[in-house]
Amino acid sequence: MDIILEKLREIVHKSHVSDTKYLTFAYSQNVDPILEGIPDYVAIPKSAQEISEILKLANEKNIPVYPRGGGCCEFGGSKPIGDGGIVLDLKQMDKIINLDEDHLIVTVESGISWAQLDEYLSPFGLYTGCMGPGSGMTASIGGGISHHSVGGGGGAKYGACTKQLISLEVVLPTGEIINTGSQANRFSKIPFGRFGNGPDLSGLFCGDNGILGIKTKVSLQVFPRPKFVECKTFQLKGNTARSAAKIMIEIRRRGIDVYDAMYIPDIVVSVFKSEKVILPWIENKIRRGLFFYTIEAYSQEELNEKVKQLDQIFEENKAKILGPEISDGNIARWHYKEQGHWQLYHPLWGLTPTSEPCTTECFVPIQQFPSLLEAIEQWEYEHTPEMDKIFEVTKVRPIVGSGPILLLGENSVEVTCGFTTYPHKDIREINLSLWKSMIDLVTKMGAQWYMMGDICSREFVEIGAFTPEYYSLLTNMKRILDPKNILSRGKFKLLEVEK
Amino acid sequence: MSKLSEYWDAVYSCMGCGDCGYAIHSAIGKFKSCPIKEVHESPFEVYFARGKMRLAKGILDGRLPLSKELAEIIYQCTECGACHDTCHQTHNPNINLFVTRWIDHVEVWEALRQDLVKEGFAPLDQHARILKSMNDQSRLNPYERELSEKKEAISNLSGFVAEGTSEIGFFAGCTQSLMYSETLQKLGKIIEKSGIKVCKLPNEYCCGSIALRIGDMETATHLMEQNIKYFQDLGIKRIITACAGCYRTLKKDYPKYSDKELPEIINITEFLEELIENQKIQFNSSEPISVTYHDPCHLGRHMEIYDPPRNVIKAVPGVSLIEMKRNRNNAWCCGAGGGLKSQFPEMAVDIAKDRISEAIETQSSLLVTSCPFCERNLTDAISQDAEIKVIDIIDFIYSRI
Repeated sequence: MDIILEKLREIVHKSHVSDTKYLTFAYSQNVDPILEGIPDYVAIPKSAQEISEILKLANEKNIPVYPRGGGCCEFGGSKPIGDGGIVLDLKQMDKIINLDEDHLIVTVESGISWAQLDEYLSPFGLYTGCMGPGSGMTASIGGGISHHSVGGGGGAKYGACTKQLISLEVVLPTGEIINTGSQANRFSKIPFGRFGNGPDLSGLFCGDNGILGIKTKVSLQVFPRPKFVECKTFQLKGNTARSAAKIMIEIRRRGIDVYDAMYIPDIVVSVFKSEKVILPWIENKIRRGLFFYTIEAYSQEELNEKVKQLDQIFEENKAKILGPEISDGNIARWHYKEQGHWQLYHPLWGLTPTSEPCTTECFVPIQQFPSLLEAIEQWEYEHTPEMDKIFEVTKVRPIVGSGPILLLGENSVEVTCGFTTYPHKDIREINLSLWKSMIDLVTKMGAQWYMMGDICSREFVEIGAFTPEYYSLLTNMKRILDPKNILSRGKFKLLEVEK
Repeated sequence: MSKLSEYWDAVYSCMGCGDCGYAIHSAIGKFKSCPIKEVHESPFEVYFARGKMRLAKGILDGRLPLSKELAEIIYQCTECGACHDTCHQTHNPNINLFVTRWIDHVEVWEALRQDLVKEGFAPLDQHARILKSMNDQSRLNPYERELSEKKEAISNLSGFVAEGTSEIGFFAGCTQSLMYSETLQKLGKIIEKSGIKVCKLPNEYCCGSIALRIGDMETATHLMEQNIKYFQDLGIKRIITACAGCYRTLKKDYPKYSDKELPEIINITEFLEELIENQKIQFNSSEPISVTYHDPCHLGRHMEIYDPPRNVIKAVPGVSLIEMKRNRNNAWCCGAGGGLKSQFPEMAVDIAKDRISEAIETQSSLLVTSCPFCERNLTDAISQDAEIKVIDIIDFIYSRI
């Protein structure tokens, strides 16, 4: 038997490790149409200790290791970069370790999904605030922390999910297990705070895209779920993107703590109508971009006051309210009441059979997103020959644009630009080239990436977006923590010369 | 050309979001999807839909071969369709997701199984034994029982009229006629009391469901052709069946493989509902009792028969129907389908144990279902001292008249 396989079987349960071609192939792709990498081994650990042993083995044998949560990355982040290595499937580490009801802190194993945790918290009248990424029914808490995830609801009120982080248990690339935040003090009895005991080392692992450590336990602040909620959707006028930006800025200026606020661009409305995705928008003859908000409160009076202030903003911007029901086109209600927040991005897939988007998911300042949308329109025009080639092969023209634009806690928005394409071998290089070109454009407009994975982390370095000093610091940190470049090898092109 | 290649669009429309394995969508009552994934001792991706779709992509683009090893993976699936339902999970009539237009997961799995059989990598050993029995002219049923036993069981049913004397026929199926003939005798008494003339079909062939699920199209189409001819020769216009597997096959699969005119197919729960609506069933017991109902996959997700069994149960005086946490389209599979029970019996029972636990949580006395496969597998999973009993809907109705 293969010596590595034999040793892995000594570490994890023998039924939790495999090197067979079928089992490993299933871990070769995430949620994108292009990027692939087949691991040599897949292991399903059940504890930090097992992960630690695997990492020590990987260091000894110089084998890269790729941690995988829900496998929902849209940039190839949880599959090997190139073939080979070990994929660690962390989804079996899904236990709830403790709910501290006094301090409203939940501690979980990192493989648990956002939906599973929310289901657990619900009977206590609690929720996670930010509900993780839009893929939160499958995506794991650990993956969310590794990407500053947003998009699954609550982003405007609570910000990215890492804002809720209290402490982490992390297995370092060389196998040591550490605790951060209040738990850096070995005498601390319970996780209760992130900042203190020196620098914020939790932050080192937040949004690290899995390069600096494997999160195994996560303590998150949770919140009492307000009982009073209003969800409204509005039809915008004029330049709807600019109008939406103006409304978002006004909401922030007036200090109204909307739970979610989202602009749905003209192109999305148009496609959703033409493809009969949201039927009431057809019936109600919606023609232009929409905006919806969800606001929560702990009393009816509080809610009424907030709604009054919000409605005033929409009135000032000549927005027209849709009816209150989902059947009236009030998408906000579906988004919040029926947990549509974990599905809103699904319509980006399968516009026609097998179509899938290559996306660029990033944060930009509110004021800047209309310019980004305009730049994307220009980008489409400039890439007409490539679009023609895709059409020639697939007989379907790509759709270029942005998905819904989501207000975040930090006075920025999440923008998901992209183009739809097909997993056709003959257009793979065109797809890749277009995707990189769009990443370059968005990066050079000053965007901040959260999920970077394979393609974006490497492209960001390739075009010199990091300042040399920053990249040098990042490289040195990687070298200290992961001298053999075991963990997520290839991301950010770190230590590639040494490799 | 492979059968799977006909499903290229479906396979490549799967984006790999993984909700088919992990979705918890409490707003619509969805609490996980794949029963195999939840009980498998090796919980790798290939043991739920996303991983299987990934393999299908590899097969279609020529990077993965068909093999016996692959067959062992592909047949670890109950074909319950929960992955399909989850993929379509807005369940709001106002909102449709694009991707779900192109994928029917169960059809993909069956196409792949057909290719595995065609290329000689399947059937697996227990399935081969069943198919041998189905092809044996002295048996023609999956249970290695003599054909005469089945004919005799159907011929001996009381309450039904003789073959050829009614345009309404009762398709008994192999499982109920050979394993649950007492239940069919009770049904005969219910029908007799209703005054409706339903004829026996002692020369019915196996419906072919098991062969279809395994992917043996040669066996399945032969059986289908024989049955269709039999129905035509007798001038049958309407067929009632009490087996969810037969119902799904006769109603959904037969029209796909035959252009001949077929009788109307109705399920026993629809028929009982009709009888109750027309006051053709008189109940004589109103003793209070709490029951819960298990939706068979072949009746529920595959055929969307959700209300008739519930309407039947609720019509019984004194009955309180308490739903399990997962019900209707979100119901947890019993574990028996897709050939799992015969090839991987321990896994099937482990899945059923989850369902039994859920039924026990309702504190009901009876777990009613309307499928002999579900009844058998759930019964296999229930502990002897359990305070809940598994019962077919026919037995339940009979007990109250």
